[in-house]
Amino acid sequence: MSQNTGKGRTLIAAIGDEDTITGLLLAGIGDIDAHQRANFMVVTSKTTQEQIEETFTSFTQRKDIAIILINQHIAEYIRGILDEYSAAFPTVLEIPSKDHPYDPSKDSVLKRVQLLFGE
Amino acid sequence: MSTSTLSARCTDALVQEFQFLQQNSAEPISKFLDYITYGYMIDNVILLITGTLHERDTHDLLDKCHPLGFFDTMPALCVATTVQELYNTVMVDSPLAGYFRECLSAEDLNELNIEIIRNTLYKAYLEDFNRYCETLGDPTASVMGEVLKFEADRRTVNITINSFGTELSKEERAKLYPRLGNMYPEAQTKLARVDDMDQVKAVLEQYSEYRMMLAGVNLNASSGGAGGNDLSLEDRFFAREVQLNKESFEQQFHYGVFYSWLRLKEQEIRNIVWIAECISQQQKDKVGNYTAIY
Amino acid sequence: MAAVRDNVFPTRMNLTVTKMRLKGAQTGHSLLKRKSEALTTRFRAIVRKIEEAKLKMGKVLQTASFSLAEVAYIAGDISYQVRESAKRASFTVAAKQENVSGVFLPAFERAGDAQGSGFELTGLGRGGQQIQKARAVYVKAVETLVELASLQTAFVILDEVIKLTNRRVNAIEYVIIPRIENTIAYINSELDEQDREEFYRLKMIQSKKKARAADATGDRAELQAIQDGELHGAGRNLLAEQVDDDIIF
Repeated sequence: MSQNTGKGRTLIAAIGDEDTITGLLLAGIGDIDAHQRANFMVVTSKTTQEQIEETFTSFTQRKDIAIILINQHIAEYIRGILDEYSAAFPTVLEIPSKDHPYDPSKDSVLKRVQLLFGE
Repeated sequence: MSTSTLSARCTDALVQEFQFLQQNSAEPISKFLDYITYGYMIDNVILLITGTLHERDTHDLLDKCHPLGFFDTMPALCVATTVQELYNTVMVDSPLAGYFRECLSAEDLNELNIEIIRNTLYKAYLEDFNRYCETLGDPTASVMGEVLKFEADRRTVNITINSFGTELSKEERAKLYPRLGNMYPEAQTKLARVDDMDQVKAVLEQYSEYRMMLAGVNLNASSGGAGGNDLSLEDRFFAREVQLNKESFEQQFHYGVFYSWLRLKEQEIRNIVWIAECISQQQKDKVGNYTAIY
Repeated sequence: MAAVRDNVFPTRMNLTVTKMRLKGAQTGHSLLKRKSEALTTRFRAIVRKIEEAKLKMGKVLQTASFSLAEVAYIAGDISYQVRESAKRASFTVAAKQENVSGVFLPAFERAGDAQGSGFELTGLGRGGQQIQKARAVYVKAVETLVELASLQTAFVILDEVIKLTNRRVNAIEYVIIPRIENTIAYINSELDEQDREEFYRLKMIQSKKKARAADATGDRAELQAIQDGELHGAGRNLLAEQVDDDIIF
């Protein structure tokens, strides 16, 4: 466990709707590396589930990303992958969006919490 | 239903009405209406320039452009893949060519910050619009002069305030001020040199209409404290704009009404969106913080 | 399972060694158990914090998106511009480690300054102040998110480690300790058996010696009697001894 630390992971990636991404970028998390890879993705009504899955998987495989933020309503599209994803790095964090208030019962991590305590 | 849909529909309705006016107008009113749309064109062209600079597919951007600022040859701009090409196309194809020629070269597009370009263009546009209004003679000239002067002053103040703590040097700042308005030229020279809000306030104190506006505005509150209930300076500016535009309705036989009508409609859309936003985000206590028109 | 034992040669030496191992296993067991308990305490604290933080996050992000609405009210749609101005991240995180009972928990911390993110001139002509304000609100929101992310990472890692530790505790308790105990029992019984064999052998030698002494005196009948008596006596003794526990191999 201990050899798999978060050293060298400095970026926060984000997958979300336009407003969420705009806000997060305002905070300065946006990054475009030498290969023109962005660490954020705007999901619109035109975005397909495959695209989201692909982006999410590519984020999880990058070595410089520490945290992946994803809008909860978007997380719903790829719930299967999220539930299976159990690595400590990068951490996946579900965040609420403007139009979709936060629902703790859908959160993959909280679901595991509840499973553990048998609630 | 999201608030963005709401605002898109409202804008569509407004655009339709405006286009109806445009189609049914003859010289010189059509020219006047064209002038109104130039402001939006600037935004659109800037958007396309941003896209080109980042080597994006600019065709996608056409959807994002403001429909009022849509000109026939705009899709042609999307063909351009380099900034140089874009510049040439803009010079040839867009009604904005004059403004571009006046203040920018192709190299500037590459080097200058996009916001500086935008503000330079806007400045040229305001000056030109004002000149045109003056040729129309009274009462259009006086009514529009009032509104445009205010617009110029507002930009001046905003640019001053917003450039604090940025890389924008004072000389550059001065260059962005429109060369008209109540504050032109003496107050502008002073504003070009100020460093903080208190100094801005001191300069504005000399003008009666702005002194009233500033009274009760906590200048520093607008930059700190999230969602404070104090009215910010921007809110005051909006209120003033609405007031001026309303006044223009009281006059007769001039074209300023069209401008004012458009502006008030826009304000109305903003208000609707604001209220919708407040409702959808359960911030009902802030619903009242819009700028009422009537 | 009762018969599972280590494959050792039953000697006194090995008995001592195995007894030491039993002691070691018991100490290890209690240590691991304590570690697991410590981790679980920590784990529960973290879970509680996560739940709190998640709810807090809901509120923080709501305020944040609302401040964006304020921007939209004044400056119009800036999303495209903002998206295109992103170049290098100015808000980054650094991982820091915290040691809880020998487990390294990473904690993310905000690194890099928020200045110079390239958005200063956004909204120069209109709404710049609101944009800066929204930016500040979002920076705060992201800080909360980073905090939450650290908690969550700690949660995932702790979860893993606790499972691992519990597996070890159980393995020691239900597999290793019984096995060592079995081994000790085996060695003990083997040694007992050896003792008995040794005892019988000594008796035999004694009787032989007596017989030889009688032979020397020349009384054959007496010799016969001694031999018979000894043998029968030994036979009876042996039978009597069989009341002992069964010998387990």
